[in-house]
Amino acid sequence: MINQLLEFSTIIGILTTAIRLATPFLLAALGEMFDQRAGVYNLGVEGVMMLGAFIGFWVSLRTGSSYIGILAAIFAGVLMGLLMGLVSITLQAEQGISGIGLFMFGVGLAGYLFRITIGYITNIEGFQPIKIPILGDIPILGTVFFNHNWMVYFAFLMVPISWFILFKTTWGLKIRTAGMTPEAADTLGLSVVAIRYTCLVIGSVAAAMAGAFLTLGHTNMYADNISAGRGFIAVALVYFGRWNPWGILGGALFFSFVDALQLWVQVLGLKIPYEFAVMAPYVLTILALVLAARRIWEPAALGKPFNREGD
Amino acid sequence: MKTSFKAQIITLLIAVLGALAVGAVLLLIVHANPFRAYEAMLFGPFSDLYGLTETAAKATPLLLVGLGIVIAFRSGILNIGAEGQMMMGALAGTVVALNLQRMPGILLLPLTLLAGFAGGAIYGAIPGSLKAYFKVNEILSTIMLNAIAQQFMVYLLRGPLIDPTEISYGTGFPQTQQLPESIWLVRLIPQTRLHLGFVIAILMAILVYIFLWRTVIGYRLRAVGAGPQAARAAGINVETGLLSAMVLSGGFAGLAGIVEVLGIHHRLLDGISAGYGFTGIVAALFGRLHPLGVIPAAFLFGALMLGADMMQRAVAIPAAIVQTIQGLMVLFVVGSDIFIRKPDWARQLLGIKLLKKKSAMGSYPNNQSPPLVPK
Amino acid sequence: MKKVALSVVLIMVLAMLLSACGTQTASQKIKIALVLPSTVDDLSWSQGMTEGVKAVQKELGEDKVEVAISERLGNPTDAAAAVRQYASQGYDLIIAHGSQYQSILDEIAKEFPKTSFAYGTGYQAHDNIFAYDPQSQEGAYLQGIIAGKLTKSNIIGIVGPIEAGDAIKYNVGFQQGVKSVNPNADVRVAYTGSFGDIAKASELAKAQIDAGADILTGTAQQTVGAIKACAEKPGIYWLGNDMDQSSIAPDTVLTAQAYNWKDVVMQMVKFRQEGKIGGEHLVLSLGNGGIQIVVNQKLANVIPADVMALVEQTKKDIIAGKLTIELPK
Repeated sequence: MINQLLEFSTIIGILTTAIRLATPFLLAALGEMFDQRAGVYNLGVEGVMMLGAFIGFWVSLRTGSSYIGILAAIFAGVLMGLLMGLVSITLQAEQGISGIGLFMFGVGLAGYLFRITIGYITNIEGFQPIKIPILGDIPILGTVFFNHNWMVYFAFLMVPISWFILFKTTWGLKIRTAGMTPEAADTLGLSVVAIRYTCLVIGSVAAAMAGAFLTLGHTNMYADNISAGRGFIAVALVYFGRWNPWGILGGALFFSFVDALQLWVQVLGLKIPYEFAVMAPYVLTILALVLAARRIWEPAALGKPFNREGD
Repeated sequence: MKTSFKAQIITLLIAVLGALAVGAVLLLIVHANPFRAYEAMLFGPFSDLYGLTETAAKATPLLLVGLGIVIAFRSGILNIGAEGQMMMGALAGTVVALNLQRMPGILLLPLTLLAGFAGGAIYGAIPGSLKAYFKVNEILSTIMLNAIAQQFMVYLLRGPLIDPTEISYGTGFPQTQQLPESIWLVRLIPQTRLHLGFVIAILMAILVYIFLWRTVIGYRLRAVGAGPQAARAAGINVETGLLSAMVLSGGFAGLAGIVEVLGIHHRLLDGISAGYGFTGIVAALFGRLHPLGVIPAAFLFGALMLGADMMQRAVAIPAAIVQTIQGLMVLFVVGSDIFIRKPDWARQLLGIKLLKKKSAMGSYPNNQSPPLVPK
Repeated sequence: MKKVALSVVLIMVLAMLLSACGTQTASQKIKIALVLPSTVDDLSWSQGMTEGVKAVQKELGEDKVEVAISERLGNPTDAAAAVRQYASQGYDLIIAHGSQYQSILDEIAKEFPKTSFAYGTGYQAHDNIFAYDPQSQEGAYLQGIIAGKLTKSNIIGIVGPIEAGDAIKYNVGFQQGVKSVNPNADVRVAYTGSFGDIAKASELAKAQIDAGADILTGTAQQTVGAIKACAEKPGIYWLGNDMDQSSIAPDTVLTAQAYNWKDVVMQMVKFRQEGKIGGEHLVLSLGNGGIQIVVNQKLANVIPADVMALVEQTKKDIIAGKLTIELPK
């Protein structure tokens, strides 16, 4: 089995699988990073993903265009972000609980809308892989990295873009200030509320796109509970990546690589109970973090509602 | 300015009505009569003995999980790993009970309950020590540990712990054999599912209250939650505090798991945690993070969950509506909380003129919640 | 704090005062309630049973059969509340469609001695409990023959959910079927660890295909994801389970082992009319028509006539008892 695992075709297979698996985590976690950088955390990512997955699928099915579908999913993401903002920012609700509420609402609404609009399992074309010229022809690397649909490229491109926005633009500085010292941001004349709303909407749109990737760019179908807990993993990956896009990229790739590896190990003949293979990505993610440096940093005002009047 | 009791109730009612109004639109779309639906949902759980006992049976694990959440939260940790801790507690208790079947029930029952608590406590100790000593964020570790517990439990249930008759009949369903009847938690009312666990849970709530507010350790934990730096300055070992909070929190979740086994199913099978790990968080927060407040909150949530399922049957609607309306309720109620906590600020939001006399900061209850994500 | 607690209690009291009374209508109808772990549109286990019950309703007449369905009750705690409520509302036959409901039926059935309960896959039939038990290894064996004969790469992939219950029966039967005609074929079993994660099933199917499998099969509602993944690669075939799944991939799904739930439900209804309200262990097998191999007519020509003949012959042997499929002990 080890021999087979080391074969080129197997390695390519594992890496390609890992890239696909990482895409929804990456999108959702990068979005959640913006939320948390601005000082709000959203446990409801799973709910937003489910709704994005459904809306994207439904609109694609009806219009015949997955691009219109993704636009609709983005719109759904905006609405969910505004809803979360209303409850968590304007009404200053406890974010842990409003996130769980958003999760229940999103999952429920997606299932409900599916029943009244479609109500049976069907499928669509979805986004087709686009081979990138020249790069796609590189042996091995081309197959692994440059032969996916546009959403995969988009998710990975978002890593440097997010990094640039966050650390190289004034707007990024404002976001970080709103998350670190909202009082100081307020004194500087920034609207903490506006920044946080914007970031929540960005995060929610990203989560909705992550969900839509599952239906439009991965399975090309919708079924109940298609997200299957990925939203929660994405939230965990933000902590893994320590609110840094590159860290999140590392976390998403690491988790997905182990997951892809365990699928392949099972396929190639596994001598241990499969449950331990399924557990592997979860166990190793924790271990990786334990073994990593013990220095930790987080937005100081994370989870605290901002109120100009003071408490 | 303290919000009056009347204002609190009115706020809560408006929030619930708001959620129901939005839900009604969803119901109307599928041609379901919202009045009939809500009649079943709101009154079903309270209309007869069945509804009431079933609500209490559902409230039992919610309360136990909620107590664990309260302890963790008060110590500055959001424990979203109760799902996994429940499973581990149920597993540990079941293993003990299955292996010591010959022991008289009067001894075996406390031992099983203890094992359940210990199972959850040990599983809670993992994220606790990871957080205290390795600075691994507990949200990350508990999400991962929930998934691990699920796989681990299924592995044991289909392997070493499986009911031998499941193998001999070839059905192979992953569940253990029935536990000895001598340790089943007594049904308080025959022919209902209200069992002794309900009483245990209430007693535990009182115990946790005494622990947190009347003992030195409880005080230390709350100090850690209120501000680690200050606690450290006061000579409190913050790491030990975080760890013990997670041990206790996991322990209560584990107890919830084994109580479900002994009181409801009488055997361990997949699906035992039934989402209580998450609803328990909501119940704890609605109970104002107060051990005694969680009692009515758990009861209310038990009723809401049961009633929502009853609604599905009363008007034949897709099950997903149930979850949607539950989510709306959580959002509306948690969103309306500000009108109780900070009436002035809320009025300002609504554009009503701020009262002249700016109230003191006292609009928070005494037991003001600590920041959710501790530093 | 106290006030919040009090307010909650007050609301509850209020609710109790306003409590509505249930209505009971006696009728000649048979009232069937269905408790499902998944949804009525999962294109597998739950949808299969739903269609079975609906078919019975259609055959006996809408005025003779009343059907109520509760879905998404995978965890036994919530399911128990549903079963009990249906029982107290006077439903005659309550079908809890899953192995996980055995314990709760044992308990509730005692309190409603006149009501019939049913569950499966299971074997514990009591006074008023029917247990139905699809012998999924039988159809799986036949599909194994098809797979063993048709594979070109000699690699066959299984996309399993959780290694338990019907998945074991199916996989064991399937593997024996393959071996009986093609001892050299490599049947690779892998599990996603979940019943409903279609994206994971899709990836697992892709991994199986990339590793060389050209015929795939699997169980549970997650498989729709795997089927779609197969459909994207030409020349890959899928052998389905639970029900005919060719609607989502007409060029990929070759055959399916379909359970004839209609007959099972009809049988239970008949038993009840004859005054027998439980105690039967109802087996779904090739022999009694409870299991059928449905061939996707669009792809009927893919399976050579001699293979089909072998399948028919083996089917007869299984029915005649000449061939038994050993399950792990």
